[in-house]
Amino acid sequence: MLLRILDRLEETLIAFLMGAATLIIFCAIAQRYAVGVPALYPYAIGFDLTWAQELCIYMFVWMCKFGAAYGVRTGIHVGVDVFINLLGVEPRRSVILFGLLAGAVFTAVVGSLGAYLVWHIGQIGQVSQDLEAPMWLVYLCVPLGSYLMCFRFLQVAYAFKQTGELPSHDHAVVKGLEEQANLTARAS
Amino acid sequence: MTASGRAERVEPHPRAGRAVSWLLILVPLALIALCFAGKYGVVELGPGARGTLIFALLFALMVTGMPVSIALGLSVLTFLFTLTQVPVEAVALKLFTGIESFEIMAIPFFILAGNFLTHGGVARRMIVFATAMVGHWYGGLALAGVIACALFAAVSGSSPATVVAIGSILLPAMVKQGFPNRFGAGVITTSGSLGILIPPSIPMVIYAVATNSSVGKLFIAGIVPGIMLATLLGFTTWRIAYKNDYPRLPKASWAERLRAFFNAFWGLLLIVIVVGGIYGGVFTPTEAAAMSAVYSFIVAVFVYRDLKLRDVPGVLLASANLSAMLLYIITNAVLFSFLMTHENIPQALANWMTSQGLGWIEFLLVVNILLLLAGNVMEPSSIILIMAPILFPVAIKLGIDPIHFGILITVNMEVGLCHPPVGLNLYVASGIAKMGITELTVAVWPWLLTMLCFLVLVTYVPEISLWLPRVLGML
Repeated sequence: MLLRILDRLEETLIAFLMGAATLIIFCAIAQRYAVGVPALYPYAIGFDLTWAQELCIYMFVWMCKFGAAYGVRTGIHVGVDVFINLLGVEPRRSVILFGLLAGAVFTAVVGSLGAYLVWHIGQIGQVSQDLEAPMWLVYLCVPLGSYLMCFRFLQVAYAFKQTGELPSHDHAVVKGLEEQANLTARAS
Repeated sequence: MTASGRAERVEPHPRAGRAVSWLLILVPLALIALCFAGKYGVVELGPGARGTLIFALLFALMVTGMPVSIALGLSVLTFLFTLTQVPVEAVALKLFTGIESFEIMAIPFFILAGNFLTHGGVARRMIVFATAMVGHWYGGLALAGVIACALFAAVSGSSPATVVAIGSILLPAMVKQGFPNRFGAGVITTSGSLGILIPPSIPMVIYAVATNSSVGKLFIAGIVPGIMLATLLGFTTWRIAYKNDYPRLPKASWAERLRAFFNAFWGLLLIVIVVGGIYGGVFTPTEAAAMSAVYSFIVAVFVYRDLKLRDVPGVLLASANLSAMLLYIITNAVLFSFLMTHENIPQALANWMTSQGLGWIEFLLVVNILLLLAGNVMEPSSIILIMAPILFPVAIKLGIDPIHFGILITVNMEVGLCHPPVGLNLYVASGIAKMGITELTVAVWPWLLTMLCFLVLVTYVPEISLWLPRVLGML
């Protein structure tokens, strides 16, 4: 139950960051051009959107850290699997488990490094250039995202140990193909 | 975690398999132990040994099949921590600031734009348009397939998705018309990779990020090679069709052509917005990417009505998933590239090359072979991110133009997508055409050979890539 809430939260967060960042940059461009048009000038000049770029970068960095954790769950992180696929079932399983645990170790180390960094910067009280947001808050995504990713690696490793199945991502999903194929078949 | 999509499993001798698996696990651990031995002065590591150690560790970790990003990160972190004086805080900071640039943010935006238009409806419009234009020539539907693939791949930004989308609509129609299944599958598999040369192209943005080149120049430079390769693939198709007298379609009237064009127009306008916007100085590349994301949302939901508003969160999530994966590799690749510079590896390589009297001709030959080999086992973005920081400084030192180098790497990635044993396009196409990999490998041969010839041409005739940007005054 708690896990399912975490899953939803993760998905909602990264989808929201993706959409919101797009909208913000779109608005910033629109505003820049609206200022150039005399009729729109009085409305557009009131908005100061110089912080948009910085906010967009931070949103995408957050999306990257949490999306990478989500990606472990969906199996999108690709590796070189040609060689291990040549092995038998049992040997392949132990090598894959090793890979997953190595992922967990790496993300745990990075998470701890990030936590140290956040604490360190929190002491200095540094703020960002345009938004003047406290930098420790911005950098918080490194420990949070990495620890979450570590958890996901362990989760996938556990499931793999139990069931022998890995999540795998299909890079070739295209929506609406069947109806289109039917349409074409009827036309010809 | 599969790069090859599907495994063709051979059952080896069980005990040999177990021994190999232990080897795969123990070798990286032993190399990490060696790093620590170096830290505490147990063994003395010279500069040559250090360089070898980085690559050995990276290679040992990668062959275990762990994600490329993790393998990169682990080897760099181990090395920086044990054998250099770089403070750990600087490394942690780099993990955040590595992707803290507005240029890189073009990648998620382009992925989002592509995902909005990766839909069967868009594919069908492209096919209808292409068929109306060239359907009456020899091998009509197949030629239309080449053009439809090029257009759809450029707009959707994904080669495998193009093979699926165009293939599942066009292949049944081709078989019904009397084309051999092999011929159709060969055309679609190879043409599906055309998209990464025609802007907007994500591998090009990744190259630009990895080497600090200009995205705009690369995009413009890709146009001529993209059209050339499409023409060459079309010519190969036409010749085979002409020799075997494959069916042609009745010629479409101009009214039909115009209608087909207007239907496809909204999708194609995306390419114009990106190229025109960047070239005209209206947008920076990242802004152009954001605009194209908003534009393709409007086209998909309100103009074409392929997507419903309630499908949008799903598209956002899928795009975020893919972008995060790429950004995560980039984060770790930035660390890797930092390490390369720190250890002076590109310099050493360049000096060694000049001392051996090797010029740019030999260098580019080696680069091509290296990239084609890497293309056997890895996907394009990872190859570019690992190889570019090492090879780019050498290329610059040998007087190769950065834009030309980028285009040649991109063409290389295209070839890698469709050659055996692990081209992603091959696997996807084998699923659609219901053909085994071996049979399909034979089927793609004529087109693959065309692509390889074109690769040689692009490698040794820089003007193919540089002519258009120069004429437009961008160089």
